[in-house]
Amino acid sequence: MVDSNGQEASPGGGNRPRPAQRRAAQWVRDYARLPGIPDEYIGEDGPRAVWTRFFDAFASLSPADIERRFGAADRHLKEAGVTYRAPGESADRHWALSHLPLLIGESDWQQLSSGIAQRAQLLEMVLRDLYGEGKLIADGAIPAAAIAGSNEYLRQVCGIRPPGGRYLSLYAADVGRGPDGRWWVLGDRTQAPSGAGYALENRLVLSRAFASLYKSMNVERVAPFFEAFRDGLRGSADRDEPRIGVLTPGSFSETYFEHATLARYLGFLLVEGDDLAVSGGRVHIRTVAGLKRLDVLLRRVDSNSLDPLELDASSHLGVPGLIDVLRKDGVVVANMPGSGVLEARALLGFLPSLCRRLLGENLMMPHIATWWCGQKAAREAVLSRLDDVAIEGAYGRGVPGFESDGPVLASELSRADRERLVAAIEERGIDFVGQELVRLSTTPVWDQGRIVPRPFVLRVFAAATPQGWTIMPGGFCRIAEQLDARAVSMGGGARAADVWVVSDKAVSTHTLLPGTDTVRIRRIAGVLPSRAADNLFWLGRYLERAEATLRLVRTLGTQQRDPGKGSSSLQHAAERIQRMLVTWGAVTQLSRSQPAKVAAEALQAEERFGSCLSLVRSAQRTATSLRERLSPDAWQVITEMTARLAEEVEDDDGIVSAAELTLQELASFAGLAQENMNRAAGWRFLEMGRRAERAINTTRFARQFAYDEATDEDLDVLLTLVDCQITYRSRYLVAPSLAPVRDLAVLDPYNPRSVAFQVQALTEHIASLPALRESGLIERPQRLAVAVQSMLATAEAGALDTKTLFALEQDLLNLADAIGLRYFPHGPNASRPEKLTGLA
Amino acid sequence: MIYDIRHVTTYGYESPVSFARCTLRLEPRSGAGQRLLSHHVEIRPRTAERHSRRDFFGIFTESLVIDTPHRNLRIDSRSRVAVDRRAPGRTAPSPAWDEVRDEALAVTSLGPASPVSYVFASALVPVSSPVTAYAALSFPPGVGVLVGAVDLMHRIRSEFKYDPKATVISTPLREVFEKRHGVCQDFAHVMIAGLRGLGLPAAYVSGYLRTIPPPGRERLQGADATHAWVSLWCGDELGWIGFDPTNDLLVENDHIILGVGRDFADVSPVDGIIVGSPKQKLGVAVDVVVVE
Repeated sequence: MVDSNGQEASPGGGNRPRPAQRRAAQWVRDYARLPGIPDEYIGEDGPRAVWTRFFDAFASLSPADIERRFGAADRHLKEAGVTYRAPGESADRHWALSHLPLLIGESDWQQLSSGIAQRAQLLEMVLRDLYGEGKLIADGAIPAAAIAGSNEYLRQVCGIRPPGGRYLSLYAADVGRGPDGRWWVLGDRTQAPSGAGYALENRLVLSRAFASLYKSMNVERVAPFFEAFRDGLRGSADRDEPRIGVLTPGSFSETYFEHATLARYLGFLLVEGDDLAVSGGRVHIRTVAGLKRLDVLLRRVDSNSLDPLELDASSHLGVPGLIDVLRKDGVVVANMPGSGVLEARALLGFLPSLCRRLLGENLMMPHIATWWCGQKAAREAVLSRLDDVAIEGAYGRGVPGFESDGPVLASELSRADRERLVAAIEERGIDFVGQELVRLSTTPVWDQGRIVPRPFVLRVFAAATPQGWTIMPGGFCRIAEQLDARAVSMGGGARAADVWVVSDKAVSTHTLLPGTDTVRIRRIAGVLPSRAADNLFWLGRYLERAEATLRLVRTLGTQQRDPGKGSSSLQHAAERIQRMLVTWGAVTQLSRSQPAKVAAEALQAEERFGSCLSLVRSAQRTATSLRERLSPDAWQVITEMTARLAEEVEDDDGIVSAAELTLQELASFAGLAQENMNRAAGWRFLEMGRRAERAINTTRFARQFAYDEATDEDLDVLLTLVDCQITYRSRYLVAPSLAPVRDLAVLDPYNPRSVAFQVQALTEHIASLPALRESGLIERPQRLAVAVQSMLATAEAGALDTKTLFALEQDLLNLADAIGLRYFPHGPNASRPEKLTGLA
Repeated sequence: MIYDIRHVTTYGYESPVSFARCTLRLEPRSGAGQRLLSHHVEIRPRTAERHSRRDFFGIFTESLVIDTPHRNLRIDSRSRVAVDRRAPGRTAPSPAWDEVRDEALAVTSLGPASPVSYVFASALVPVSSPVTAYAALSFPPGVGVLVGAVDLMHRIRSEFKYDPKATVISTPLREVFEKRHGVCQDFAHVMIAGLRGLGLPAAYVSGYLRTIPPPGRERLQGADATHAWVSLWCGDELGWIGFDPTNDLLVENDHIILGVGRDFADVSPVDGIIVGSPKQKLGVAVDVVVVE
């Protein structure tokens, strides 16, 4: 099915196979441009050169090969867990990538990018005036109401000089090609533009799937843009090695994946409001080593949610006191809170004259014609040609009084609604704009072996650097399924596409890996935020608890699968296993009347919080909040394991083999962590979670199966559960007997599955973590760990009766709690900031 | 008229609070017919940080941090204010309301006194068509802005029920409007929402009322707590005029202004964030005494 050699033919090579020419010709013939609408591929004079180059090379791939590569790209996106969340949905959606890139030629791009750079500079200067001197308002260059109507105009930051010296560090514009063939700006993104991280991910995927095609096309690399952006942010801080955080609303945000991607790619910390604290006029991050100063916040939280003390009081996403830190020049926030005011459509019409005034030059890029109805002439113009314009809110999303999130078209309204719209515009024109209806250009999209035209919107990104604005060559392209491109958002079933800026000559290859001579050597990567430590600890605990439960299920399933040896003591051991599964929340008491179903329920029941499936799902959920810290391989193991465990199994045989497979996957995750994770604090917390949980579970196993009157079958089960059959046999050469089994499972410090071994590892980890006390007194986790360790070191197997083991279990639970209290002070048990209430 | 005002706010917590960061807006302003003679705030427990500034709306704002565990917080504010304010008569001539609306939009300022800052929805005051339609009944085309506003104020006073138990600070305006009851703050918010819906600049005023009425006059609603009312911009010539919809009064010498903003969120006298006890008991005591 795949081409015999599976290779791409080099483009422009002399002996292009005939089928390729035929395919390319067929594509062109079938490609039906939409009447009256410009197209990226085929212009007035036929196909454009860059696209012809692309399709010639593309056609040299066999149809089967193309499908295979598309499949590989989709698989990669899925495996990497590239997701977004539509507003109002609780589940992540996978990313739909259009398999063909949008191509833009070099000279076309030059024009576009200088237009964007000019616009970014203009907007920066407008912000500086609005929040500073206020001359533009005083002189009437901008009507005061066009600003006052935006709830992003933050009076609280008026007069504050932005720390770091600028309002905009990252700017984005949504652009489309208008009927005249020029690029038009459709809207400005000055608050916290999203999409750059998705653009990066799209590029990684497509350039891998079509490696040699990508190379041969001389596509401009995006890495230098991110490098410039990162350096710009670094340079804005007032010390040499600044600590930079990406402030995310959390894993429930629509674009959380992107926040994690950017944090990982740029080497920043991913933080939530709860992770930060204000003191002494600075912002600090809570880490396992106490509060550490944070110099720069790249925010993905909207301005109004940033500080419950001065802005939206109901917000839980921000940091109380943050605005006051800005007043004291204590932290750089990018973009500066309040920058979002320039997203108001009401302002669009004033930009050409502002550009002449502030930059002394004409605005290079046109924007979609917009009339703000707060001015009489404009209002009358809009009302007189209501069917030729789209009505939009002047400041934010949606039209006041109308439910839809997007523009309102008068021609599509009922008579009553139309009258309502006209009355509203006449009454409070300040709330509305009219925008010209334009049909944007289309670009080729792959559709089952053919190419078809679809409208698109391109988001272009500009980053501030000391040398001026740097534009990302490429961007984030969204392709509409319907024909009005302005309704494109990822929520609306649209696809994304990579954007290739195609150069005529070879481009320099660039990655974010720094050159050796510019980087100071550092062996431990940054600080570990308490929240990340908390999540790592619980990831370790969930996975280990899943493992213990799987071992119980496997033992039970094996007994059921191979009946016959049904002695009464074996039955007795099976009952003990079932009882444990009930205690652990994996099955209900009720289910025990049907022993045959217990193993299946403990393995897969969604509704049981202690079932193996629920435990690995909890692990996956925890891992979601650690995306920037996990390797793609580790993430993939967890994802696959969760998906597979949810598949229904048929019989006892299926249960046993599902349990075994999952145990292997858990082992491979543990192996990845062991071999690939940096031995910094993060690894220690994952390990500590695992060790603490294993110590607790092994103690429980020992209490159930190594009690004073334990039978041979009980001891046999225990050896299986703690995976020590082979060790025991090689050591003792006799049937299991109580004291040696107890010693092996609980006390033997050389057995990596014994309780003593776990406690020893815990003690070592705790000792190597930073201490907070200056008094030199030993901290509680360490005190508890050392106490348990010495108890285990001096105990004798014969004395380990049920009561002693129960006491040991309690000590271990206390130790786990003490670790939580010490290192995760704002964990689930901690008190959260509450708002003072009441009409005082 | 000179007043001595004592405004004591107390919070009692069920369990110790380890950290508090508060914002106080307790200093009565000078200007708009009144003059601050003295002001002092005492805070218990002791503060770790305390600094002050004037905010965007010109309100003297104190920020403080308490980082010792405490079960009680007590903020004791004393002020002496001289008030000399004259309101126009209820039927005095004024420009047509639609002219005032257009005049407001032509003002080239975003400052705290600019009417433009008060024609849009704000955090606690949405602009909605039912409330706008309610207000519009008082403003037929061409009617004087003052006469229209007096009529609206009078209607709110007679059609809404004063009920201190009916609302809490988080009760949304829509609910207040539908159920037609609330306290001073709610009535002010309703009147502001209606005026803004029509495009008229309306601000929220927090302050105090004299506690003991002059002989022969009735005791006014809201006198033992902080009070709230509305300030309406009536054109460049008349400027800002105070309307108290809770008492159906134009604001004169019985009212002492604490702060002016877009709604309660801008002027809340005591505001803050604590770490610790979710259960708290708030007490507010206000005493306004006529000195001379």
